[in-house]
Amino acid sequence: MDNNKHKQVKIWAIGGGKGGTGKTFVLSQLANCLASKGKQVILVDTDFGGANLHTFFGIRRNPASIMNFFEKKESLEDLVIETPIENLSIIPGNSASVTPANINHAQKIKLFRHIQGLAADYILLDLGGGTSIDTIDIFLLADRLIVVAVPEVTAIENLYQFIKSVYFRKLRILFARYGLKDTAKNIWQNREKYEIKGIADLLEYLKKKFPHLDKIISDNLADFTVYIILNKVRNPREVQEGFSIKSICIKYIGVNARYSGYIEYDYQFWRHLSLIQATPDITVSYNIKNDVMKITDNIISGEQMRIDSLKNV
Amino acid sequence: MDEDNLNRYYETLELKPHASFSEIKSAYFHLKKLYSSQSAVLSIMMAEISETRSERLLAQIEEAYLELKEYYSTTKIEKQQVTRDRVMRKNIPEFEVFSGNALKLTREVLGISLEEIALATGIPLNHLKSIEMERFDMLPPGGYIRIYVGKYAEYLSLDSKRVTEDYMKAVAQKRHAYDRYRF
Repeated sequence: MDNNKHKQVKIWAIGGGKGGTGKTFVLSQLANCLASKGKQVILVDTDFGGANLHTFFGIRRNPASIMNFFEKKESLEDLVIETPIENLSIIPGNSASVTPANINHAQKIKLFRHIQGLAADYILLDLGGGTSIDTIDIFLLADRLIVVAVPEVTAIENLYQFIKSVYFRKLRILFARYGLKDTAKNIWQNREKYEIKGIADLLEYLKKKFPHLDKIISDNLADFTVYIILNKVRNPREVQEGFSIKSICIKYIGVNARYSGYIEYDYQFWRHLSLIQATPDITVSYNIKNDVMKITDNIISGEQMRIDSLKNV
Repeated sequence: MDEDNLNRYYETLELKPHASFSEIKSAYFHLKKLYSSQSAVLSIMMAEISETRSERLLAQIEEAYLELKEYYSTTKIEKQQVTRDRVMRKNIPEFEVFSGNALKLTREVLGISLEEIALATGIPLNHLKSIEMERFDMLPPGGYIRIYVGKYAEYLSLDSKRVTEDYMKAVAQKRHAYDRYRF
């Protein structure tokens, strides 16, 4: 690897609204896959309220956490901990704290700047569940916006809510920049009058009213794409659900979405996780490794699952 | 078809430009099923979309598929004819009488699959097979056979009139023999 050349670090964030869908698991798997390709990877646990990334790497007592960055003004580089896996290190979250952490706007900006300055090829951000403004802002920091869901209605519902919130946050920033904030807010508050039901309707209405908006959105949000991963998939019908979710994101919410792939349900995995030596490179089956490899390649290249790859569903 | 429309159709079916026909077909059936059913993944988003919009969505999906299907079948014929005329035409043997086997041989020399013909002409694949094997008992009544064989011959750039005449003679003979045996 050429270290002298200036490298542009790539940031991936994983969110998804609902807790328990396996965000941290998927993240650790993607990281492991990237590391095995010889990339320098740093995982950052930005789940301020419920950190557990370190557990996936068998680190039980973490000496330092990302909170030291805020509280003790330690540099982010000093908080990086090596893992047993080559090329892969992590910045753990605060599992020791007894009160849920809240960070202010200035701290957030500072954190973003320092994350972008870390020396690595890839930085993967682990987000908590929910759609708090902190979570969404950290998510929007990434170059690749990855969401994880499991094929269950509740998880999918939260996924839509998460994507909607993220997209709306992005649009609001855009509206503010072009002086449309109050107009959009006004229309949204009186949406029954205009027969507007969702974001897609609102955008359509605004585009009709302001012909320039179409170009503004396509110029600014052309790269805004959500990469969908389905976790704990048990059968081909559930594999297919990914295509449905993708389509609904595109047609109902109006965001670009790609179905990057799915991970099979592994009945053995949770038993392994209770062992203290748990690390992402040894605890998963060959099938999962295979799934993760395809997903990683798809996220890097922007390709997605082919709909005709599923026959006889 | 103009480029903008074409790209819009691919976009409606959520495909990259120049996707294969197999992808187009799978995407169409999947989307049609999704948006005309009350599946759980969809119904939780029902409040997000107005009724007129969701109706328009289905119409767009339908239109995109039909247009792309048309586009794929015509461009395939054009492409195929160019290659045929250039390279392979001279390799086709001369036939005294056009039988099912003659059609099959011609098709194979031209390197065309039965699936391609089925797609382009709209003739069911099993009927094409039966035509080649001259399994008249598996085919629909004579009028259909005449149309099918005509279309098939046309696709191979053969003299469709001559081919159908030859073929229908064989059909008549076989059917006649069969009827005599039966009564």
